[in-house]
Amino acid sequence: MQKYLQKALTNQFTRASIAHFGQSLKPPVRVAITGAAGQIGYSLIFRVASGEMLGPNQPVILHLIDLPFAMTALNGVAMEIQDCAFPLVQGIVATDNQTVGFKDVNYALLVGAKPRGPGMERGDLLKDNGKIFTETGKYINDHASRDIKVVVVGNPCNTNCLILANQIKDIPKENFTAMTRLDHNRAQYQLADKLGVHSSDIRKIAIFGNHSPTMVPYIDQMTAKNHKATVDQQWVTQTFIPSVQQRGAEIIKARKLSSAASAGNAAMNHITTWVNGTAEGDYTSMAIPSDGSYGVPKGLIFSFPVTVKNGKYSIVQGLPISPFYQGLLDKTIKELVDERNAVDHLLK
Amino acid sequence: MEVQQSLTVCVTGAAGQIAYSFIPLLLSGQVFGQVKINLRLLDIPKMETALKGVVMEIEDCAYPLIGDIQTGSNPKELFQNCDLIVFLGGFPRLPGMERKDLLQKNANIFKEQGEALQEVGKEDVKCVVVANPANTNCLILSRYATKIPRQNFTCLTRLDQNRAYAQVALTLNKPLNSLKNIIIWGNHSTTQYPSIEHATVEGQSFVLPDQGQFIERIQKRGAEVLNARGNSSVFSAANAVKDHIKDWYNGREDTLLSLGVLSNGEYGVQSGLCFSYPIRCLGAFKYEIVGNLQLSDFSKQKLKVTEEELIQEQGLAESI
Repeated sequence: MQKYLQKALTNQFTRASIAHFGQSLKPPVRVAITGAAGQIGYSLIFRVASGEMLGPNQPVILHLIDLPFAMTALNGVAMEIQDCAFPLVQGIVATDNQTVGFKDVNYALLVGAKPRGPGMERGDLLKDNGKIFTETGKYINDHASRDIKVVVVGNPCNTNCLILANQIKDIPKENFTAMTRLDHNRAQYQLADKLGVHSSDIRKIAIFGNHSPTMVPYIDQMTAKNHKATVDQQWVTQTFIPSVQQRGAEIIKARKLSSAASAGNAAMNHITTWVNGTAEGDYTSMAIPSDGSYGVPKGLIFSFPVTVKNGKYSIVQGLPISPFYQGLLDKTIKELVDERNAVDHLLK
Repeated sequence: MEVQQSLTVCVTGAAGQIAYSFIPLLLSGQVFGQVKINLRLLDIPKMETALKGVVMEIEDCAYPLIGDIQTGSNPKELFQNCDLIVFLGGFPRLPGMERKDLLQKNANIFKEQGEALQEVGKEDVKCVVVANPANTNCLILSRYATKIPRQNFTCLTRLDQNRAYAQVALTLNKPLNSLKNIIIWGNHSTTQYPSIEHATVEGQSFVLPDQGQFIERIQKRGAEVLNARGNSSVFSAANAVKDHIKDWYNGREDTLLSLGVLSNGEYGVQSGLCFSYPIRCLGAFKYEIVGNLQLSDFSKQKLKVTEEELIQEQGLAESI
């Protein structure tokens, strides 16, 4: 059944097509999503398939990857994608086989990870995910397109990315990133709300560090409607930072489900900005391999303020780091170093 | 870019699954272009906390096009000043429930909402009814909101249409945009008639190897997805809502589309029923029912069956 589905779905769309408004389309790219049968996958896949991530002239071939037990549900997702009659979807590969899943893939959003079960220690979580991402790293190295761009979403995303990238020999390490865009978007909204502006009016903020409670929302250079804006320090330490850190839990409490839509949205934003570039006079947040900037140990997967141009990101250098921020940076660096030590046996 | 215009859109059943998938599409700019969207999110009082969570996530998506957001459970408050209302909320079918009960429970909801529209709604508000039984819910809504033009009331059969396109493309092994004028006639239910009678592939009419199987597959696709996913077709439904609104608003020159609209008697269908027809979308929310297609005896028979069901549903719903 599954083989038939893969074959049938790929045959259907192999011919190049002209979008009905007459514009010609680019050659298709392959986009892989792991954890594709899950909740974040559900929010993410359809928006990618509709052309929101890479634009209305970019056809995509979807590679949907999940575990063997999820294959029936995944085939249901594939049916629904068909039922959307998306003009830009030129093929669907739904599989639990990572060789097939990552073959020639140009973009990978790695949502799948082992969730934290009751009574599980952080150390166990790190080790279990370590195994998963070691495997995936090998498959990506051996089968993906040499220009693949990867964002790790499944938590603990920074360290999962570190483990994954450790398996990569033949693809530039800078292509392997982790997602802090959700924290960035959340921070953007909280600041906009405080300052009484629209979130799109807030610029020059960034998330430093680990995607965890130690993350550092840096707002020293913030502008609102292109004017320097400040908020009082007490609000920052007592309300703002805890809000951003606890937002995920707050949403689970209200919805009884986790924040799948906003997480999927952020994953999509991360790739879109990486491809299209940052706006003039602004930066974004991506967790990337540290080059030692801001005293962050080299090689750690650390979120920095970055500008993006022509598909490449650069760390925004020289931002003033006050003692207050330095204290927060030290904490998040320490946490990431500890995480790296905990998975030392998986890193050569 | 400064966003100049704005629209106020109400979504009912806003804490539900389809809304969860639909709202990002509505705010993505794919429907109305660079227009700010003020959201009115309506659900039952029990869902108030969940609705707060939905709003938090909308905030966390930092959509450039979001305007202001209001939530609540009173349609008389939330329907005010709306340009478009998307009726996702309805009474779900519970185990052991008779079809008659489903129809009547939903009729009550849509009567109340129709009355609210009549009292506070903008004269020219556009309505898309999705909650099932969509056609009959739409009919009831229109009965109680008489100040609003009849052509402003539509119900969703776009999901069936999209499914039909996908199946034809798969069967013929042709790209989707080589296909035109596949039409869903009638009720959004198992009596719907997916027709290729006037459809073309690359400009040519065609037949399918097994027409009966094709029709049955579209009619039962919802169940097929349910069995595989363990959950109903949420995203494809949300996507169809997006397509319905987008094409109704922007117009489509290249193909006829399926929308459930209030019949004026076209093709001999009882006037006043909400019936899915071949529609030409002209832009700016204007459309015309294409009422002069030649129908085979086979097609006429199919139309009769689905019309019969709609007449029955109307009877049951109106006995409230």
